[in-house]
Amino acid sequence: MVDLSTIKPDEVLDCKGLSCPMPMLKTKKALQKLQSGQILEVLGTDPGSKNDIPNMCKKEGHEFLGMIDETGYTRYFIRKK
Amino acid sequence: MAFGEVLKELYESIFRKNYSPVLGGVLLALLVILLEMWYRPWGIVGGLRNWGEWVLYGIGFLEEAPPHPLWFSSSVLDIGLLLGAFISACLAQEFGIRIPPKLEVIKAIVAGILMGIGSALARGCNVGGFFMPLANLSAAGIAMMLGLMIGVFLGVKYLLWEIERFSSQGGKEISMKKISPLLGVIALIILFWGAYDYFSSERENAYLLGGSLLLTAGIGFVMHRSRLCMVNAFREPYLSGEATMAKGVALSLFISMLGILFIKMADIRDPMTYVEPTFIWGSLIGGIIFGAAMVVAGGCGSGSLWRVAEGQVKLLIVVIFFALTNAILRYYMDNVWEIWDKGILGSAVYLPDVFGYAGTFIILSLVILLWYIFVDWNEKTEKFVIGF
Repeated sequence: MVDLSTIKPDEVLDCKGLSCPMPMLKTKKALQKLQSGQILEVLGTDPGSKNDIPNMCKKEGHEFLGMIDETGYTRYFIRKK
Repeated sequence: MAFGEVLKELYESIFRKNYSPVLGGVLLALLVILLEMWYRPWGIVGGLRNWGEWVLYGIGFLEEAPPHPLWFSSSVLDIGLLLGAFISACLAQEFGIRIPPKLEVIKAIVAGILMGIGSALARGCNVGGFFMPLANLSAAGIAMMLGLMIGVFLGVKYLLWEIERFSSQGGKEISMKKISPLLGVIALIILFWGAYDYFSSERENAYLLGGSLLLTAGIGFVMHRSRLCMVNAFREPYLSGEATMAKGVALSLFISMLGILFIKMADIRDPMTYVEPTFIWGSLIGGIIFGAAMVVAGGCGSGSLWRVAEGQVKLLIVVIFFALTNAILRYYMDNVWEIWDKGILGSAVYLPDVFGYAGTFIILSLVILLWYIFVDWNEKTEKFVIGF
């Protein structure tokens, strides 16, 4: 298991305040720019993302490392395939 | 396992976890059929227009006062949906005021105006112009479905163009997590107190409105729990190939159609209910405009409303401009240009008049089945996927 609280992401993507489908589109776009194995942290506020981001990772083959609920937003961690 | 744990698990799966689109679709169909048996077909735009008309009356644009929102059935349907979705969002602690970045605000205004225009031409949004007319055996439903497919394709093209050029950031959320269960309980009390008031009223159709309020609250709750989204159903086949939502909506549409077929065969409702003079141009062109706009908005008629109830400010802006544009445009179309009598946008075609009930059932089943097969095949082959 990866300890999410100490993880160092290579890129942080701010999707706060955005609603479906923008967080998903931006996440996919950001992942395109990363190298294989690098970690993307997404900050989001859309409740739909809690299902959409893990599902997208499964479909595309990226590793979904987990999420942390903070006050007012959620942090998602993805390792690019 | 202890009894308490069983209860807790049940509570979690009903009030906190998300339902699958298939479960959401089946429950939605059940409620839609019950509502039509109880009183009238489900709709969204009529209520929004009523609220828009009150604003127009307030600023002096309209001379006559529109019907009272609490005694106008279309409006009661929307109030019910908002309450149900709000209760769902609060009990799941998903309610929060989500403030979008600037670009999203501009998109919301433009998309809201276009949704108002599209729904005026088609005399309904995705619910009152596509889903319900199709379930009510009107040819217009098929025409708007085609329009939506074309429009959504254009909308997706725009989103892909935007994502390459702009990066909007700086939105935020005002968290309501701590107080949201309390807000949910208050909304529940308002819902049942409101329904009680309708049922104990002396007014002629009051109990009908009371039942409608409860049933649409059920619709709002179910839609929010399953995040049932017709934008997603039409968009994802182009954007990612994902067909789960499309299949849920297709199933929902089939069950609704079957139920309402029996309602109309039994003469419980006037056959021409939700059969509007928009076949084919009003529904097709309206569908194209509405389809493109709902992708940019990130919510259709029903989907925008349940997202408002979870605190999405972008969708609130969409709904305001949607309601005002529809109210203004329909005022001119109905009273000034008298467009419907001239038959410019098409005619009212009740499919059983042409094909009989059996023929209509076969045709509509085939339309829904073809859609289902198309999205399923596309999910596997990605033939129509233009996203990345």
